[in-house]
Amino acid sequence: MLLANKEGIVVTGPVVNMLAATAANAVVVFSVPVLANQLVGVKSVKVLKVHLFNNAGGNTWIFLGSGIAGVGIPVLMPAFTSMNNLEDVYDNLPEVESFANITAWPAALAALGTIDIQLEVAIIG
Amino acid sequence: MPDLYIFKAQVGMFDPVALQDQNVAIHFGEKVYYRKVDFLEAIPPFQCIDLGALAALTPSGKINITNLEMADNEFGLFRWYPIDDAQIRFYHPAGVAKYQLRNLQVPVDMNILFRDPNLVSTEIAVWQNNHPAAEAVNGHAFGLGGVRIVTLGFRFHTQDLAKGKAVNDALVAALKSGKEPCTHVWCSGRPIGD
Repeated sequence: MLLANKEGIVVTGPVVNMLAATAANAVVVFSVPVLANQLVGVKSVKVLKVHLFNNAGGNTWIFLGSGIAGVGIPVLMPAFTSMNNLEDVYDNLPEVESFANITAWPAALAALGTIDIQLEVAIIG
Repeated sequence: MPDLYIFKAQVGMFDPVALQDQNVAIHFGEKVYYRKVDFLEAIPPFQCIDLGALAALTPSGKINITNLEMADNEFGLFRWYPIDDAQIRFYHPAGVAKYQLRNLQVPVDMNILFRDPNLVSTEIAVWQNNHPAAEAVNGHAFGLGGVRIVTLGFRFHTQDLAKGKAVNDALVAALKSGKEPCTHVWCSGRPIGD
């Protein structure tokens, strides 16, 4: 059962493995429900929690942005630190709202290293 | 009854629409049945249906909710909400769209729990075996393992005032004319333009 609160409906996104650094290699980590088959509703999302696991990716920063992957993605909030081979969980975040899919990318990555990321978001709308 | 009526809002569990020995007018389609309540009990919240797993961005088919059928001579009063993040379109009875506006059939999703905590706007009544149906739409980019609906309400057993053991033609006439009070209960939706 998912949770409903005044913030919206809380759901988690998939675990996404980030293989490459920089905004040009940003990957979608949460897709806004598009309701293609539904009658009403424009949805937006607020990021509630960020869960990172660093797989030998080196000490780096993770950015969250919106829009399609590529250069010049708007950054939603300041970067999150990700330490080599460690897990980091961030919550109590600013209530930044996005109407576009949430993307993420590392500032840098060690050779052959990757970083797993999972978001918990509130669906608004 | 003055203080018992459909769509009543209050904190917590909702009220029954009629008590022991009170009269009801059950509307089903174009028909009206004048009856007296001779038994009622509460139905605790329960999972009445799982509309099933739903792939990303996919609607389900319309699925009958036979668990909300009532026995002969009984009607149920229910409020409901989904516990999985899909939009639900409701039909009651199964062939008639519920919550129908001119241009839109209003769906219900989990937001109902904080936008309408008493679930007033979801209230339906079910006459005998005329079950409702529902379909779910998953707007997410990921699949849902199930789309479950939880229902709570009341069960009413009634006696027919128009024929049989409890027949009372004078009372029926008084109910029809409004000289005696009764609660009107709509046990079906109505197609628009009807």
